[in-house]
Amino acid sequence: MTKEFLLAKSHFRKNRGTAAGIFLLMFLASFLLSISMILFTDVYPTGKKSAERLDSGDGVIKIYNIGDKDDAFIRDLLDGDVERYGISRCLNYPNTSVISNTEGAEVMVNLIVETSEQALNKTMARTEIIDEDDTVTEGYVYLPYQLHTSGHFEIGDMYPVTVAGKRYDLKIRGFLENTYYGCNNSGCYEIIVPDNIYDELMEISGKTNLMACVPYALKDKSTQNHFATRVSNDGLKYDINMSVENVSLSDVILSRTFMSLIIAVSFFTVTVIVMAVIIMMIANSIANYVKENMKTIGALKAIGYTGRNIRISLIIMFLMISVIASVTGVCLSYAALPYVAEIVVAQMGLPYRSSFSLFATAASFFAVVIFTLIATLFSARKVNRIIPIVALREGIESHNFKRNPIKLERSFLNLDLSLAMKTLFSNLRQNVIVFVVIAFLIFLCVNSLLMYENFSRKPNLKLMALEICSGVIGVDGENAEDAQDFLSSRPEVSSVRKLYNFRVFTDDEDSIVLNAFEDPSKMNNQDLCYKGRLPLHDNEICLSGRYAKSAGLKIGDEVRLNLAGNSYSYVISGFIQIMTNGGKEAVLTEAAAANLADLGNFPTYFYFDTETEDETVKLLEDCEARFGDHLLSSSNFYQNVKGSLATFKGISALMMILVCSVSAAVIILVLYLLIRSLIFSKRKDYGIYKAIGYTSRDLVFQTAASFMPAIILSTIISTIASYYLANPYMQVIMINFGLMKCTFNIPIPGLIIIAVSMIIVSFLFAVFESGKVRKIEAYNMLVSE
Amino acid sequence: MKEIIKTNRLCKTFSNGGVQQHVLRNIDLDIYEGDFTVIMGASGAGKSTLLYALSGMDKPTLGEILFAGEKITDKKPDELALFRRKNCGFVFQQTYLVESMSVLDNVLAAGLLTEKNKKAAATRAKEVLKSVDIEESLWDKFPAQLSGGEAQRVGIARALVNRPRVVFADEPTGALNSKTGKDVLDTLTRANNDGQSVVMVTHDITSARRGNRILYVKDGEIAGKLDLGKYLSGDKERHLKLRDFLGGMGW
Repeated sequence: MTKEFLLAKSHFRKNRGTAAGIFLLMFLASFLLSISMILFTDVYPTGKKSAERLDSGDGVIKIYNIGDKDDAFIRDLLDGDVERYGISRCLNYPNTSVISNTEGAEVMVNLIVETSEQALNKTMARTEIIDEDDTVTEGYVYLPYQLHTSGHFEIGDMYPVTVAGKRYDLKIRGFLENTYYGCNNSGCYEIIVPDNIYDELMEISGKTNLMACVPYALKDKSTQNHFATRVSNDGLKYDINMSVENVSLSDVILSRTFMSLIIAVSFFTVTVIVMAVIIMMIANSIANYVKENMKTIGALKAIGYTGRNIRISLIIMFLMISVIASVTGVCLSYAALPYVAEIVVAQMGLPYRSSFSLFATAASFFAVVIFTLIATLFSARKVNRIIPIVALREGIESHNFKRNPIKLERSFLNLDLSLAMKTLFSNLRQNVIVFVVIAFLIFLCVNSLLMYENFSRKPNLKLMALEICSGVIGVDGENAEDAQDFLSSRPEVSSVRKLYNFRVFTDDEDSIVLNAFEDPSKMNNQDLCYKGRLPLHDNEICLSGRYAKSAGLKIGDEVRLNLAGNSYSYVISGFIQIMTNGGKEAVLTEAAAANLADLGNFPTYFYFDTETEDETVKLLEDCEARFGDHLLSSSNFYQNVKGSLATFKGISALMMILVCSVSAAVIILVLYLLIRSLIFSKRKDYGIYKAIGYTSRDLVFQTAASFMPAIILSTIISTIASYYLANPYMQVIMINFGLMKCTFNIPIPGLIIIAVSMIIVSFLFAVFESGKVRKIEAYNMLVSE
Repeated sequence: MKEIIKTNRLCKTFSNGGVQQHVLRNIDLDIYEGDFTVIMGASGAGKSTLLYALSGMDKPTLGEILFAGEKITDKKPDELALFRRKNCGFVFQQTYLVESMSVLDNVLAAGLLTEKNKKAAATRAKEVLKSVDIEESLWDKFPAQLSGGEAQRVGIARALVNRPRVVFADEPTGALNSKTGKDVLDTLTRANNDGQSVVMVTHDITSARRGNRILYVKDGEIAGKLDLGKYLSGDKERHLKLRDFLGGMGW
C-alpha cells in the first residue's frame, strides 16, 4: 500500500487547486446533508416526542357549549371506544384575533383560557410550563411557547388579550408547552390567566364559551374516523347547540412540523445537486489527470506499476479529501444547527435542544465518502486501458479528426469569438457539465424565488385563504341580521359576504368543514375553485380536491353528507383547494347548507371589504362597541395574514438566501475547477498563441467566452423551463397540504434578476479565473517543452 | 544595408536556486534587413536565448533592443504581443501548431491578427501555404495527420502570413530527417530570396550554409561574425569558408 500512498501524495501535490475545489464541494455537500438529516431525524420528530412526553394520546375531542353537563355525560359519549381519557374544562373563544408577534401582527385562533389549576393538572395531554417568572403574581398571562419562538415575546413583556368584548393588558409570566393548543397552524392557543380574570370572563361568557377538552387514547387506533363521527353525531343528538370537534394527534403534529419537513427536503434537494456536481467533477478531474499524465502513467506502467496501483492511488486521494471534507462539514453543521433549528422551532412552537445524532452524522459522512468512492472507481477504470508504450508516445489522442467546427475562413464571428467557439467544441464535456449544473441551480433558485414571492413578499392569499377580505366578524345567530344591516349601512364597506361554517361527516365517516356562503359567486377568491365551478344551486357542492381524490370522487358525482341524523346528497360542481383542516373542506350555498341543519344555531361570520386598513380597524372597534359579548370574533384580515405568515416569511427568506448563496458557491467552484483544468491542458496552445502575437487579454476573453454559450444557453433554457416547471414541482409537495393546482406567482423581474445574476457572476468569475492565462509566458512554455 | 535589429549591451541572467547564470553578456549586434542571419554556437551557449530576446518573446535582464528603431525592451507583455504580431514570425523546432486546428486555421489564426478582412486573410493564407508547397488537399487536415516536414512548412507559412519584418527560426530542422530538413531550408531560403529577413538558430553546419551572415555565440558573447554572401546551391567554397570559421571558433 505504501507505493499507492506515495502516488496519491504525488497526485495531491500536482493537483492542489483541484483538490481544494473538490474539497469545498464535498464540504458543502456534507454540511447541507448533515443539517437535512438532523432536521429529518432529530428536529422533525420533536413534535412526536413532545406529544409522547405530555401523554397526548391519539387525539382530543373539544365539546363546545358544554354548559353545566357533568362528566358522566362525557363518559357516556366516549362509550367503550377509548382506552384512556382525561377531562378538563376551560373557556374557549373561537376565531379570536390574538397578537402574534412583538410587531403587532394578529392571528386568528381558537383561544382557550384557563386558570393554572385547570391547565396544569390535566391527567392527559398535559400542559407544562417551559419558563416562568413566579414573582409576577397578578395581572399575568402564560402564553404558548410559539409566541416566544416566533412572536419574540419575553417574560415580563405586556401582552394584550381581547375576549368577550373586554381588553386585558397582562404581563407575561411564562410560556407553555402543549401538543394541541400551542400552534397557530393547528388553529388553537392556550393561555393561563389569574383566577380573578377567569372568573370575570366566566361571568361574562361562561354560558356560551365553556368547553370541555377530552384527550383520548383509543383501544383501536384504526377506528379514529368512526369514533369522531359517532361522538360528533351523538353530541349533537343530545344537544343541537353543543358541537363536538375531534382533532387527531397526527393532524396536529403535521401542522406543527410541516415546515421543518419542507426545510429538510429543500436542504436535501440542494445536497443531491451538489453531490451530482461532485460526481461530475471527480469524473472530469480523473479524465484530465489521465490526459495530462499519459506519459507518466506510461512510465509508471513500464516500470511495473499496475493499473490497479494507479487506480488505488487515485481512490486514496479522493477518499482522503472526502473524509476530511465530510468530517469538517458535519462538525460545522452542528455549529450552524442552532440557527437553522431556531427558525424551524419558531413554527413548531416547541422547545428543541440540539443533541448529537449518530445516525444523521454517520449517514452524512458515509454518503459523501461512498459516493466519492463509487465515482472514483468508475472514472478511474480508464487507467487500466492504457498501454504503456502507447502512453509513452502520448499515442492516445482524443481529438476527433472528422470535425473541424467553426472554420475561421467561414466563421461570421470575429477572431476571438471564433477561437472561443473552437475552445468550446474541444472542451465540450466540460461545457456540458456547466450546462447541467447551471440548469439545476437555476431551477433551485426559481423555486426559492417562488417561495419567497408567494409566502413572504406578496403572500399569495388566493392559494392560502378561503376568502380574501379586509376584516371578519362573527356573531351569534340572534344578532346575525343586525350585524349584516350594520355592516351594509357603513359607507366605507364596499361589500359584505355572509358565511356559516360547521363540520359534517360523509358516509365514510370523514369529517368535512362546510363553508356556506350566501352567494359563492360573489366571493373575492374565485380562484378557490380550481376545477369545475363554484356551486350555484341548493343541491350542489364544491368539494376539496384533496378529499375528492382520496375518496375517488369526480365532478358530477354525488356525495352524501350527514349531520346529527340529517342527511343530504349533493352533486359535486367543482373542486376547491385549501390548506386548512388538512384540506378537508367544502363550499356550498347557504340554501344548500340549510338542507343539513338549521343555520341559525351556528355562529354567523361576515367578511367585509373596505378601502384602507384604518377603516377596517375603526369598523372592528365599532362592532365591538355595538355587539359587546355577542361579538364572537373579530379579525383584521391584513394583520391576520401578517401574523399567520410571519414564520413562513422568515423561512422562505432564509431558503432564498441559502439557495442563492449555495448556487453562487457551486457555480464558482465548478468554473474554478473547469477553467483551471482547461488552462492547464491548453497551456502549450496558450504559449503558441502568445508567441504569434495574441495578447493575454485576447486569451482571457477567449477562455471566459468559451464557457459563455453553455452558461447563457443553460440559463435561458432552464429559466424558461423552471418558469413552467416550478408550479408543478411545488404541487408535488403542496398536494399533501391540500393545494391541488399550484398557480403561484413567479415574478418575471425576479426571474430576469436570477438569470442575469447567474450570467454575470459566471462571466465575472470566468474572466477572473481565466486571468491565470496571464501567468503563462510564451518563452517558458515553448522552451520547457 | 539597413539595420532592422540593434542591441546595446544585452544581458540575460537566469537565477536558479540562488545561483546566477549569465547566459548573455553585454551583446552588441546588428541584424540587417533582407539578411539570412544564422546564429550558431555550442549547446548552452545562449543562442536560443538571444533569438527569443531579439524577437521580444523574452525580456533581457539588462541592455536594450531596438527593432526598426523602436525600443522594445521597455514594453509590457501585451505590448510585446502586439509588437510580435506585426513584426515577427516564428518557426520552432517542434513546429508548435495548435493540434485542435486544421492547417488552414493554424495559418489563419495568425493571419487574422493583422488582416481583419477574412476574405483577404484567407486568400493570403492560401497563397502562403501554396508558396511553402502545402497542397490544398492538406489544408483541412490536422497537424497530427501531417508528416514532420509538412508540419514544419505549415509552421513557416504561419510565420510568413503576416509579412513580418523578421522571421525567427529556432532549430527548424532539428527534429526532421535530412530530406525534409532540406525542404524546410529551401522554403526559408526562398522566402529570404523574396526579401524576407530571417534570423535562424542552428548548430547544424548544413543549415547554417543557407545564411549570408553567421554570428557565433560562445559563453553568452558574440565570439565571431562571418559574411558568406548569398546562398547558391552547390557552393563548395562557401561550405569550406564556413567550416574554417567554425573551426576557428572551436566548433
